[in-house]
Order: sequence, then C-alpha cells, then structure tokens
Amino acid sequence: MTEQNWKTLLDIINGEIKKQIPAGFIIDCPWLPNWYGVDIIDYFTNDEIWFDANMKAINEFSDTIFLPGFWSEYGMCTEPSAFGVRCTFPRNEFPHAHKIINTSDDIENLVEPNPKTDGLLPFMLNRLRINQNKIEKAGHSIKFSVSRGPLNIASYLMGTTEFLTLILTDPDKAELLLKKITSFLKNWHELQFETFPSIEGIFMLDDIIGFMGEEEFKQFGLPYFKEIYNLNPKIKFLHNDAPCKVSAPYLNQIGINLFNMGYDISLNELKELTQNKITLLGNLPPRDVLASETPENVYLKTKELISTLNDKSRLILSCGGGMPPGVSTENINAFLKAVNEI
Amino acid sequence: MNNQELIENIVTCVARGKVSLESPFPKDLIGQIGTNELTKIALENNISPDLILKACNDGMKIIGERFGKGEAFVPELLMSAKAMNAVMIHLKPFFKSGTVKSKGKFIIGTVLGDLHDIGKNLVSMVVEGNGWEVIDLGVDCKTEKFISKIKENPGCFVGLSALLTTTMANMNKTVQEIKKQFPEIKILVGGAPLTMEAAIQMGADGYSPNPQGAVEYLNSWV
Repeated sequence: MTEQNWKTLLDIINGEIKKQIPAGFIIDCPWLPNWYGVDIIDYFTNDEIWFDANMKAINEFSDTIFLPGFWSEYGMCTEPSAFGVRCTFPRNEFPHAHKIINTSDDIENLVEPNPKTDGLLPFMLNRLRINQNKIEKAGHSIKFSVSRGPLNIASYLMGTTEFLTLILTDPDKAELLLKKITSFLKNWHELQFETFPSIEGIFMLDDIIGFMGEEEFKQFGLPYFKEIYNLNPKIKFLHNDAPCKVSAPYLNQIGINLFNMGYDISLNELKELTQNKITLLGNLPPRDVLASETPENVYLKTKELISTLNDKSRLILSCGGGMPPGVSTENINAFLKAVNEI
Repeated sequence: MNNQELIENIVTCVARGKVSLESPFPKDLIGQIGTNELTKIALENNISPDLILKACNDGMKIIGERFGKGEAFVPELLMSAKAMNAVMIHLKPFFKSGTVKSKGKFIIGTVLGDLHDIGKNLVSMVVEGNGWEVIDLGVDCKTEKFISKIKENPGCFVGLSALLTTTMANMNKTVQEIKKQFPEIKILVGGAPLTMEAAIQMGADGYSPNPQGAVEYLNSWV
C-alpha cells in the first residue's frame, strides 16, 4: 500500500469528503493467483510469484486501494496451523484446516502457540521480510497486521456446529477457548507490529460473528475483539460477510473504524446501524454481479448501487466481501469506470 | 403427564432446544427432562410415532419462524435440531420396521474444499425429523463421493451445501457432473453465498436459504 493510499484511508475514516469516492478491494487467494494465471500452490510457495502477482494487480488497477496490501497468507490454514491442525493444500484449490478439538478436555489441553515459531506463521512473516525491500522500492509499505478473528479460529479448531452449540451448552469452556485464542492473537499481531514498524492497522476476518444473537455476541464476541483491537492501531479493519445486523451497532464500541460487509444489507441501512461512525467498504454482490455479469452489467449495477446512497461520506466502494474467484480485468475496470464517473 | 401434555412438551422442547435432563440449555429448563426422556415416555404410553414426529415438526416450525424473524439465531437452531435428533434416535426402529414410512432418501454433503457444516447439519437434522432417510456424507466431499452414493441409492434426492464463495465453483462442478450422469436426480443447493439465480445457473433443481425451505422442497415431490 502506498502512503497516498494510506492517507486516503485515514482521511475517509476521519469523515473527510473527497471529490471522488475511492474504490478498494480485499484481494487474496484464490482470486489473485487465478487472475495472475498461476496455480494456488505456486502462489503460496514461491515468493517471487507472490510478489509479482501482487505488483501486477496494483499496477493494472492503479486507481484502486488493495487491502490489506501485499497480504502474505495461507488461506484458512494460516492461524489454525499454529495450533497444530492438519492443513490440506490441493494444488489449485483453496486450502483448508481440519478440526483438532474433539472433546472439552482438548480445550483444557490446548497449547497456546508461539507465533514466532509455530505452524505457518514464521513462513508468512518471512515472506514479507524477504520481499520487504522490493515492496518498499516499488513505493509501497506493509501497513496492516492480519489474522482471522477469534470466533473464526475457534470454529476451525473445533468445527462450527460444535463451537456454536458449545457457547450455549458449556459457556465456560467456550470462553476458555476464546481466551486462549485471543491471547495468542494479541501476541501474533504484536509480533507483526514489531517485525514491520510500518504497520499501523489491524485487519481481522471473522464471519462467525454473523451467526450469533445479540446476547451471545456481547458475551463471546465483543470483549475478545475489543481486546485485540485495543493494541490501538490507527485503522481497525474488520471483514464479516455473514449477516451483520446484530453486531453492527457494536462495531464502534469495539473500536472498529473500517468494515467490509456482505451484500445482504444495504449501505444506507448499515450507515444507520453504525450511526455513520464506521467507514464502510462495500458492497456490490461479489459473485452474482462482479464475477458473473458482463462488464456492461457490472457498470450498470455499480451505477445503480451508487445512485441509492443517501450519504457518501465514510465510504469506499467495493464488493460485499473479498474479491471472489473468477473476476475478470474487464469487470474490475467496468466497476472502476462507474466509480470514477461519480 | 397425560399424552396431550407429553406431545405439547415435545413441541416445546424441540422449539427451545432442550435435549435431555442433563442438558444445561436452556437455562430456565435446567433440571427438567428433554426430548430424549419425553419420547421414551411417549412411546411407552403407546403414542404413535407419527404423532411424535409431527410434534417434532411443529417444534421445528416454531424455531424456524423465530429464526426467520431474527428472534433466534444459528446456535438456538442447532440446539433445536439436536433436540429433534434425540427424538429421532428413539423413532429409528419404527422407520426400519416400516411402522413409520420414510418419505425417501436424501443424500447431503458440503462440497469439496468447504469444511463448514452448520448449514448441512441443520438441513440434515430437520429433513430427517420430517420423515426422510438422510445419508450424510460430511464435509469436503468430492464429486465422486456423491456419485457413488447416488448409484447405491437410486431415486434419491441430493443436497449440496457451501458456505464459502470460494467453494461455489466446486459446487457448480459437482452439480454438473451429477446431472450429466443422473439427469433425473433432483438436486437441492443451499448456503450463504447462493441465490436462486445462482442455483438455476449451475443447473440445480432447487434452492433453499433455510432448513424449512429444504423440507418444503423435498415434500413437494412426495
């Protein structure tokens, strides 16, 4: 991310109204390797391919802010790997993690990982270290520490159904698990901050929030997210593309100031729920429109989205969720054309 | 407790997710018996399995409606499904003996690359509670796994689930391969990233955003 991109983000978050609403996308695997024309396994294992793919996307769409920018990751395996889960990496498919917690005793015995040495985390950091000079020479810097959120990691470690029923049947055990994960996540983000002093933001991804009711969210979500975001970066960015009506009114209380949502809610409604205190990154339907429609229709649907907006402050136009697989250059350009015509 | 009260309690316990005496959920029913014990007593009292099954469905309908209105959430829905599952364990012998007639076979699984099981489990439990024989293939299912089970169960219905946008492509491939080999098989799809349009586009026969819709779709073929 360039300093100019970072400044734009901060300006928008601070409520400044720009002549033009910026466009931004969360880009990661599998969209990026597919778009760049390499297999996912090559993207994950080859530092040069990873760097070149990121640079190509940045250069091709120079009007756009890519978030978090030079994202070193191994998909859903990244943090769960540190806990010792089995990770499956099909050659050209998204990797996945297998659950490790089968009984409540496993929660008691779960060892808090050391992010410096455990799982894929050292590899993730080392990729950034190896490429740091190249990234900076290209006029960019590493601005975000990144992780999945505590609920998301809990559901990977024990299975989503099991975790979501545990919060009702054994809330103490669920809290113990979340405390262990949160403590680990704080260390993990601190390590990223220490390793790259250019980092000034935290980006977390957690769609399990969307499955909880208000009381459950207040007990099992809010305090843990707050603790992690309390590391106090300038930008506190959350992605949750599952339902967000329950959690949205609490985002400000957690400290979040940038939010990427799904597309099942309108930006106007979300602005009301967050009292326009949070910058919204969204929310053209990612798969049904951005990936599947013709460039002409992407342009028209983006125009339509823009025309519905009651308030254009604290807004970055994007899709609802991360960039989905299969989005073509033409469709991204059609989206940007519509945004640039505002 | 008379028979009418037993049935009403089964409805309530399914709707509230009260599985058994030991179950600590919901808090206000701690120390009370749940669907496990109630079903046992109901069967001992010679209440017909069909009536018990209907009570399950009535309970699931209540929680389903609360879920639809945003008054209940996935954890509560999962607990209701568990409560219904406790009933089904007692009713299984009646399905096997033919006392209660199965409506058909429903093969369900989460598609390749997707380990999310909430949607699949909910649909699976609710469909089973509605009198269908469910064959649950689990998560991360290759197309071949579906194909092989379809071969073993001619005339079955198939359900595919996905939560991740990234695994939608795999769902697409699985639907197309099943349709290529078994054009007569009805495929129902569901999951967060899906819409009816997307379901039609990939060649599926039905789409449901919730377990109740899945049951309605399947029942429409009976």
